[in-house]
Amino acid sequence: MNHLLTQFATTEPASGGIFEALGIDWKTLIIQIVAFLILVWLLGKFVYPWLMKSVDERQAKIEAATKAASEAQAAASDAEAQVEKLLKKARGEAADIIATAKLESADVVSKSEDKAKKRADQIVADAKSELAKEVVAAKNALHNETLELVALATEKVVGKVITDKNNDDIISDALKAVK
Amino acid sequence: MAIRLSRRKIAGYIADQAVSGVDANNLVQLLAAFLVDSRRVGELTLIIRDIEYQLAERGFVLASVVSAHKLSADTQQSIIDMVSSQTGSKSVQLQQFVDPNVIGGFKVDLPGRQLDSTIAHKLTQLRTNYKK
Repeated sequence: MNHLLTQFATTEPASGGIFEALGIDWKTLIIQIVAFLILVWLLGKFVYPWLMKSVDERQAKIEAATKAASEAQAAASDAEAQVEKLLKKARGEAADIIATAKLESADVVSKSEDKAKKRADQIVADAKSELAKEVVAAKNALHNETLELVALATEKVVGKVITDKNNDDIISDALKAVK
Repeated sequence: MAIRLSRRKIAGYIADQAVSGVDANNLVQLLAAFLVDSRRVGELTLIIRDIEYQLAERGFVLASVVSAHKLSADTQQSIIDMVSSQTGSKSVQLQQFVDPNVIGGFKVDLPGRQLDSTIAHKLTQLRTNYKK
């Protein structure tokens, strides 16, 4: 660089003013300016648009990706919120179902207990009734058997002790009763 | 064809004849001949029962007495008096039967009614009335 700047300079004192005193050659400077402008033009014409387009595309991609990420995040947030809502609803429904099931199970248990108690009471009552009937039947059977034995014994005993004489007395008493 | 007489009429006729003093043997022969002739011998028992009814209505009662032992004359007379007072009949004829199964007491069978005062009957009543 230093070499480039100094190659056009001269060691001799300038005779044409300050530019010469500084060692600047007008021709070379103009050429350099033109070359620079050409370079700038070329860059502005071919390189910058391509570069800017590339940057813009990249920026667009980045923005799109950012937007997509934001949307995805929003969707994720929405989905999470939806999931949370559904979970909350499901928890509520599950709690309701559990509460209902508990109530129903308690009701079923209560009804079963009542039914079992009634059945047990009925069985006890039937057993008592049956027992009472059997007791009465046994008492009646005993009564009838005793009655039969008494009648039979009376028949045997009286049959032996009755004679013509006391038979006439019995008949006489019976006739008095008839009169 | 002869008209079929009812048992009631036959019994009434025989009872009237017996009450009016016709000989019993003749009446028996007459009845037997009639039943054989009319082929109604199978109704004999029923006709005799009807005759007893008819005689009872006319004041003549035929009573059968069943007892376990033979009855004395006094007892028989007492029974006749009782039957006479119960039925209001003029004449009571007693037929006595001995049946040890009655054990004691007596049973009188009259046309249409019966008086059972036997010990066997009382025991039967005991068995039936107090049976549970």
